[in-house]
Parts: sequence; C-alpha cells; structure tokens
Amino acid sequence: MQHRSLTTLLTIATLAFAGNSFSATAPADAIKYRKAVMSAMGAHTGAFSLINFGRVEHPDHLRAHVEALAAMGTEIKDVFPAGSDTGDTDALPLIWQEQDKFAQLLTAVEKSTAELRDAVAANDKAATMKAFKAVGESCKGCHDRYRKEKK
Amino acid sequence: MRPGLRTESRVFVALLLLCLSTATCLAASATAEQIDRGRYLVHAGGCISCHTADRPDAVPLAGGRRLETPFGIFNSPNLTPDKKTGIGGWTDGDFEAALRHGRAPDGSPYYPVFPYPAYAGINDHDVLAISAYLRSLPPVHNPVPAHDLPWYLRSRWVMLVWNLLFLDAQPFQADHARDAEWNRGAYLVRHLGHCGECHTPRNLMGARDDSRELAGNPDGPDDEKIPGIRQDRENGIGQWTIDDITLFLEMGMLPDGDFAGSSMSKVIDDNTSQLTGPDRRAIAVYLQSLAPLHSP
Repeated sequence: MQHRSLTTLLTIATLAFAGNSFSATAPADAIKYRKAVMSAMGAHTGAFSLINFGRVEHPDHLRAHVEALAAMGTEIKDVFPAGSDTGDTDALPLIWQEQDKFAQLLTAVEKSTAELRDAVAANDKAATMKAFKAVGESCKGCHDRYRKEKK
Repeated sequence: MRPGLRTESRVFVALLLLCLSTATCLAASATAEQIDRGRYLVHAGGCISCHTADRPDAVPLAGGRRLETPFGIFNSPNLTPDKKTGIGGWTDGDFEAALRHGRAPDGSPYYPVFPYPAYAGINDHDVLAISAYLRSLPPVHNPVPAHDLPWYLRSRWVMLVWNLLFLDAQPFQADHARDAEWNRGAYLVRHLGHCGECHTPRNLMGARDDSRELAGNPDGPDDEKIPGIRQDRENGIGQWTIDDITLFLEMGMLPDGDFAGSSMSKVIDDNTSQLTGPDRRAIAVYLQSLAPLHSP
C-alpha cells in the first residue's frame, strides 16, 4: 500500500517535472521574445552610439544603455530554444545544427558587452571605442552566419 | 641648385636605362611609399572580398572564391605573383590593360564580373601603386577551377562585343563645379570602390544601368536583393545623415543599432572599415549629393 502510494507520488512528480521542462512556451512566443530581445539590444546599441559619438547630449544616459546591453549579452543564449527554428523568424536552422559553434559566438557577445560596460564605468574613452567595435564585430559575427537576410 | 639637379637627372637617366635592360626592374623600381599606397588602394578597391576564397585559412588575394551570378559561376583568379597560377611576370602595362580595359596579357578579354568597367576610371598613379603592391606579395601557388558558364558565354571573345557596347574606358574626370571632397567621394564610389557593381541595377545584357545609379539591384550577386543607396525616403538611405553613413562604413552599424550581415559585411570588413575617416566621409558626401531615386 505504502509502496503503491510512493510510486503514484513519484509518477505524479515525474510528470509534473517533465511537463515543466517541456515548458508551455509556444514556439511563436519564443520567437516573439527573441525578436523583442534582439530589437532591444539594437535599440540600446543605437542609442549608445548617438551619445558616444557626441551626436546627442546625454552622457549621463550612457551607463543605462551599456548596463542593459551587458545584461542582455548574458541572456541571449536563452532565446534560441529548440523548436523555435520554424515560423516567423530570420534565424537559420544552422543554429540548431552546430550548437557548439553558435555558443562560442554568443560567448563573444557576452564578453564584448561586458567589456563595454566596464570601459564606460571606468570612463576610458579609448577602451570604450575599442569595446564598441568589438560589440559590433560580435553582433555581425552571428548575423553573418545565422541570420537570413531580408529579401 | 642647378648642378645638383643635373646630377640627379643623370642618375635618374642611368637608372632608367638600367631598368629598361632588366626584366626585374619594374618590381625593383616600386618604392615603399608606392607599395603602401597600393595596399591601401587594394582595400579601397575591394579586391580582397572577391579574390580570397571563402575559407578561414584562405590566403588573402590568392583567389578561389566562388561567385554565383545570374550569368554563371565564376572562380576568382589568384592575384599573388605566382608564375604559374597568379600574376607573376606581369608588367605594369599588363596590369593596366587588365584593370582598366579588362584584357589579359594574351589579349583575351575578361568577363565583367571583374569590375573593369568601374576600374576604367582609376588614375595612372593608383594603377601603378596597386600593381606595385600586388607584385610585392609573396607568391602563392593556388590553381583555381575554371568558370562554370552557360554555352553562350563560354568563349571569352564574346565579351569584345559587350565591351564595344558598354565599356567606356575613360579615366575619372573631376567635376570642377564640386569641391575636392565630393570628387574624392565620386572617384571612390564610382571607380575604385565600384559600389555600383552591386547597388546599380543591370540591363538584360548585364551592363550597369547608370541612369539609375545606386538605385538598388533586385538581382544582386549570391541571389541577394541589394538595397538602393540614394536619397529615396522609403527605400533608400534618405533618413541617414553623413554620420550615419560613415559609422555604417566603419563598423557596419545601421542607424537603428542593428549590424549588417550579408555580403555588405564582407565589404565593410575588407574595404570600407580600412579606409581613412576623410575617405569614408567623402563617400558619404557623394552619396548624399545624389538626387532621390526610387528603388526598383
């Protein structure tokens, strides 16, 4: 009796766990979320560059944009879940075929955005320029290989 | 002053005679300054993007990149001075004929996938510098496969007719109504940088339709749709400022903070990011001067 209820309990727990890990996120929503994160990164990058190159006068905003970029730099690895390769997306299937290589390029984004944040925090103009170039390179590195260009 | 000058000219004539008598003279006469300028011009001319194979270990300029076009598949030749597989043994004259007139040293024509119709406007000074730089490279033995073309293009000699129809091999003429910056931009965009080779639509015979200069090309290389870069507000870069253009050419960032992938990213890496700030600005000034024209 006790044995059976334990089994039932375990079964329920296992099912609940499995249900959770195959989370209820619809692929369409995963794609929407990915696009939102990417647009946000782009928007912060655009805003950063307008301030950084002195085209608008909000030097005190610089910090917020690089903090956000660095934070999202650590998150983008989460926005390409399995199953989000089909639908309204420009992400190429190659991403899910060569996960190691893809992960490497994402690490470059994480590193470059963190360096940009640190350079801005240190108020180091030369390091900021260098890091911003590296951010661009790391974005481009992925887009070159893994993003379908708009027709 | 005078005697010194005369000595210099005598030395010059002596060197010239010595040069004429030796085959290696051309390479030897290139100055370090000329080679340096040539290196810069090779970047500005976008030679590397096409003449380097699409492999991580590819030697720059040693050829072998596969180019898929609506007119067949081309394999770019080796531009290092290897005797068998490259341009070893070429003279400045051979190089000039190739660059500006699309002619190989044996007189046979090249296909205009090699942008000689744009390069025709490159000035003598720059032609010699590019030639000097390429001949200063270490030779790389790299045989490249033949082009894979439809039957009607298999004979190179067909291109002689095409050249008669479409090639206007005039060196760039400065427009004196414009300032030096605009003229520099025009030279870089139209000739050395050959932007129109991708961004200008082509007619049925594959010649650029310069009446629609830089208005965009729906049938670009590698099956890409190439955007217009004139001042059209909807479809071009009409919302871009000069700063937007220069930053894009330097880093590949679009005004909305996105970074370009696509074949332009290669152009930015190998070509426009390597230019001086004033040259990037000259390009932007020239582009902004073009009247709005709606992309096809």
